[in-house]
Amino acid sequence: MALISSLLALRRDARVQKLPPYLSALLVIVGVAWLFALPLDSYSRRTYVSENALLPAQVHTYFGGSEHNIFRAYRHEVAALADSSVADRSKKLADIFRESNLKVASQKYTYSAANRTIDNENVYAILQGPRADATEAIVLMAAWKNMDNDINYSGVALALSMARYFKKWSLWSKDIIILIPGDSTSGSQAWVDAYHDAHDPETIQSLPIKSGALQGAVAVDYPAGPWGHRYDKLHIVYDGTNGQLPNLDLFNTAVNIAGGQMGIASTLQRMWSHSDSYRDRLQTIFRSMVSQGLGHATGPHSAFIPYHVDAITLKTVGDGYHDEMGLGRTVESIFRSLNNLLEHLHQSFFFYLLLEAKRFVSIGTYLPSAMLIAASFSIMAIAKWVESGRPSSVPNPASTKPPPKASDSKAKDKPTEGTKKTDAKEPAPSKQASSDSKQPKTEKEEKEKEDSSTTTTLQSGSSKSIIPKAFTSIVSRPFFFPLALVLAVHLSGLVPLIAFNHFPDTELLALFRTASNLIIMVPIFCAFAIRWSTNMDVARPTPQENNLIQCFSLLFLGMLLSTLATINFSLAFFVGLACAPLSFVRESSDYITTGILYGGLAVINPLAVAHLAMKVGGVEILDVLVKASEGWHVWGMWTQVVVWLVWWPAWNVAAFVVALGFF
Amino acid sequence: MFTYDRAVLFGAAAAVRLFLFTAFPSLPNLLAGRVEVSTPVTSFKRLQEGLFLYSHNVSPYDGGVYHQAPLLLPLFSLLPNPSYHPLATNLLFIVVDLLSAYALVQIASSGQASVTRFFKSTRKDLRWTNTAIAAGFLFNPFTFLTCLARSTSTLSNLFILTAMAKACQGASVTFLLALSFASYLSMHPIILFPPLLVLLYDARAMRTKSTANPVAFTAIHTVALAGMIGALLGVSALLTDSWDFLASTYGVRLLLPDLTPNVGLWWYFFTEMFDSFREFFLGVFWLHVVSYVPGLTIRLRKQPLFVAVTMIGIFSIFIPYPSIADAGLYLSLIPLFNHLFPHMRYTFFALANTMYASFLGPAFYHLWIYAGSGNANFFYAITLVWSLGLSIIVGDSVYAALRDELDVERPDLRDKEVIRI
Repeated sequence: MALISSLLALRRDARVQKLPPYLSALLVIVGVAWLFALPLDSYSRRTYVSENALLPAQVHTYFGGSEHNIFRAYRHEVAALADSSVADRSKKLADIFRESNLKVASQKYTYSAANRTIDNENVYAILQGPRADATEAIVLMAAWKNMDNDINYSGVALALSMARYFKKWSLWSKDIIILIPGDSTSGSQAWVDAYHDAHDPETIQSLPIKSGALQGAVAVDYPAGPWGHRYDKLHIVYDGTNGQLPNLDLFNTAVNIAGGQMGIASTLQRMWSHSDSYRDRLQTIFRSMVSQGLGHATGPHSAFIPYHVDAITLKTVGDGYHDEMGLGRTVESIFRSLNNLLEHLHQSFFFYLLLEAKRFVSIGTYLPSAMLIAASFSIMAIAKWVESGRPSSVPNPASTKPPPKASDSKAKDKPTEGTKKTDAKEPAPSKQASSDSKQPKTEKEEKEKEDSSTTTTLQSGSSKSIIPKAFTSIVSRPFFFPLALVLAVHLSGLVPLIAFNHFPDTELLALFRTASNLIIMVPIFCAFAIRWSTNMDVARPTPQENNLIQCFSLLFLGMLLSTLATINFSLAFFVGLACAPLSFVRESSDYITTGILYGGLAVINPLAVAHLAMKVGGVEILDVLVKASEGWHVWGMWTQVVVWLVWWPAWNVAAFVVALGFF
Repeated sequence: MFTYDRAVLFGAAAAVRLFLFTAFPSLPNLLAGRVEVSTPVTSFKRLQEGLFLYSHNVSPYDGGVYHQAPLLLPLFSLLPNPSYHPLATNLLFIVVDLLSAYALVQIASSGQASVTRFFKSTRKDLRWTNTAIAAGFLFNPFTFLTCLARSTSTLSNLFILTAMAKACQGASVTFLLALSFASYLSMHPIILFPPLLVLLYDARAMRTKSTANPVAFTAIHTVALAGMIGALLGVSALLTDSWDFLASTYGVRLLLPDLTPNVGLWWYFFTEMFDSFREFFLGVFWLHVVSYVPGLTIRLRKQPLFVAVTMIGIFSIFIPYPSIADAGLYLSLIPLFNHLFPHMRYTFFALANTMYASFLGPAFYHLWIYAGSGNANFFYAITLVWSLGLSIIVGDSVYAALRDELDVERPDLRDKEVIRI
């Protein structure tokens, strides 16, 4: 207890009060530096298969021989469907499944986002496992069109021939669902929503046939045309919607089987050549963080992950010597492994950053970096709170004006932290002092007396010191107005959020440009309005209220970011980094400083940062906006919510406080 | 009693609630499913299940889902079915919240928080206006969410607040009625009887300038309370034709058979426990909750309202099925003691901690239940942090109250630091 009170007394130390900005900056720097240490061998680990039921690459694979001829025939059948209508295509695919003696169904879906309509159809077949009781199922997917909008000829043909091939085996102890979504993101989303009865039956058909709980899903993306294409590597895509990841065991199984059994190298995050150098590892981390932070769907597997179904996409890349049968055997072996599962994948990590196919960093190692950045805001919030509790004007303690007598007679014992213990042991002096002092008069008089004295005497043992009372007193905080202002700004983020998600695509670009300009003007306008509407004699908000406004804003920011870091680490990290300067700005009375600060803030406003990122990434603004709208309406993506309800309000409050300096 | 600003406040609170109810019709159901808001003994969904069975002439307790008081059933069966016509039910819950706020205003205007029969705080002028205190209750996010989730703890909160208000005013009969309803609905408020009885006694003594015989006073009130609760139980037995409801309502609260997670500390402990130790630890946990009453009531004899409020804080941490409704009630009562705030040392820390926990809690629950990437320990860890925050507020306010008493006893020690040895 004594320790706590001496720590508490430290709050009043002037040096301690100067510390927070430096500490906060240090935390941000350490947080970023932390990330750069992750690619080193000492901070990352080799991957391993944790779930022993999986037994990857322990079975012989038989997909080959005459299956190859069947595959080639299907590939021509699929190629012939390239120009046919959706209905014809679905009918033909269903017929092929039916020939393999599978239960077949199709599902129409319609989504509309940003005035564009997505209208397509999924076809799927259920292979009832000979040893299964329809309580569990695994999914093999080949989307009709892949993420680059190419027709997935060989992928669909492979799914068809795998369905026919799997049907011959008697060893399946789970049902196998073969799904051909109409497109790579919305199709699988519609299907998996309907599978879990979470769809809107008005626009998305319900599934006529279903199986048991989904245990895993593997998508194949192999867009080679009817004459085939030999590939070099398998690109394993694993990011789910909103940055959620599949269990690392599934990824490991795929890498293990492809590399160990089939001799196909694996790669990830579009790192076509990975030399396993520090630079390449860092680049992989960076790319996976960007992908996770954006939270968009990266393939047909993405829709499954929010439903706690672990899923990956295998995409063939490069020119090499591996053929379709190698991919087929890889899929066969993965399915044999998944077939072995006794319970849902749970053993391995759900939060990880991969450095290369066989090296990863687990959450315990990387989470501190985002948490340190979030903590920097909390520290500044505490500092602002303490600062707001101190009177603004501190009288000069070295003033020659003698202190009023009242303070002497009252002899305020406020032990300094160093001498606390001795004081506690000998309460005699203070008692004596109290008995010497006169009986307290009425309270009012005493209060007046207190107010008149600007200094207080510290006594410990025989030594005394006189310090200004301003250092020790706490003034009351008018927190209603600051709190209301911060909450109002946070709520007003709903306006752009709704606008960006509901404007038609033709208007989106104009909206973006208008918003980019408005966003810079809004804080200045708010600052002007508030100064104009309040009495000019006491300029509202007062410096104390400013401190509180910033305190609450930073407190919310730190709180929301640390919550976000547990769900989507990368998004929390990037938003935290973009917001880091917000802790250090303050109102300034001089126009030049205000101008410089405001200019600096204008550069890091959310839309400017987004624009810059799009320029660097080489993507069109409109594409991003349309995808974001689609993400909101179709995939259940909430990256926009973080931008408009966390990032923008924090920025806006900081810019508002700075803009007050103009008026 | 109804000034202009208070009318605006109550109107605004009702309007915002009504707006949220009508603009987001799926919100009440979503909230009613959240473990932080609805517990097995307060959930509106379970109440609907009980209503369905009751209206089909089956004992509502047969399904093993409904654990709330039988008298709620006739009340809610008078209202139209909330699945199709939710307006009447929503209005009922809004009115209950407004009545609770009104009771809070009565508590505040009685001034019992800072000036009691034996005690006058040195900072008694430092107080929020009654309207501000009511606003703190009506716009407290926890109260808000509880009202939107239509959890029946709003009803027991109303009766607890009314009991406190009536005790402050020295109105015996209404006090006993309110407290018997509160105890009947959720059992644990009966623990508030000793401090509130002291409060009632003091309030009556202050009002009539004469003191009743304390023994007779206690005896009469105890018998009367027992009689009222007995009558309520008797009516319930008549209504359901059996005494089975006792095991399904109070038995559940006492013995914790439903281990659905909540923000409290019991569920995790009892899922982990071997069955042979269950009874022993149930006894220990309940004894722990009750044991605060004699200590606090005796030590803080001069401030009975503060004891009752502190006990409500302790309930929000240590009862078997706490929810944010209990924490919301406690946090809205704390502003009554604005004169203690200068003595409190960890206010910002504790409140920031509570806010952190209220954001991280749902996130970790999501990771555990929906994303499947976390586990029960995630959520339990956050409930520990949440309880830590609340217990810091409880501990710190008790310190402040004792420090305030010291200021009165020893005016010379005012503004000096006190160290516990």
